[in-house]
Amino acid sequence: MRSYELMVIHRYDMEESDVRDAVAEIEKAITDREGTVKESNFWGKRRFAYEIDHMTEGFYAVITFDGDVALQETLDHSLGLLDSVVRHKIMRKSK
Amino acid sequence: MASPKAPGRRRRRPEINPKKKRAVYKFAEGETVDYKDVALLRKFMSDRGKIRSRRVTGLSPRRQREVALAIKNAREMALLPYTSQRSGAPQRSGGSHRSRR
Repeated sequence: MRSYELMVIHRYDMEESDVRDAVAEIEKAITDREGTVKESNFWGKRRFAYEIDHMTEGFYAVITFDGDVALQETLDHSLGLLDSVVRHKIMRKSK
Repeated sequence: MASPKAPGRRRRRPEINPKKKRAVYKFAEGETVDYKDVALLRKFMSDRGKIRSRRVTGLSPRRQREVALAIKNAREMALLPYTSQRSGAPQRSGGSHRSRR
């Protein structure tokens, strides 16, 4: 088990409730694969420092979780396929 | 041979480094640099968005590495800019824009 920190940016044109559902879905995907969500922070809508695909803002969420490398890899892969996710980043969390 | 003007008193050498190096921000012992801490990271960037050199920040090699990496990670998530032309600021007329040390 390793500690990770995941940051996801969802599209700005979504409803906030939909984004929260999407984040909850990610959390569920973590727990379904024997991971544990330690902390989940929803930042809300935030302006980008620069334009991404003609978007100037997005919904930020940060989830810290424990899980295996396999979980991290599948999560990274499936987040990359989602159209609703503008950008995501998974980092090792050092103690 | 130097003329012995004042016996017993050495000629004062010009001071080489009168100014002591000062860090922009002093990190605590066990403090980690977080890429989400945009306000802190901005201290180590120029107003154009460039990472300040160690000569300017006065950080230790290790800290400078950590800060630079954190800034790069924050840039990927659009928390910090890669570049930013300050539209409000007047165009600097040539030369070095590092006017002060």
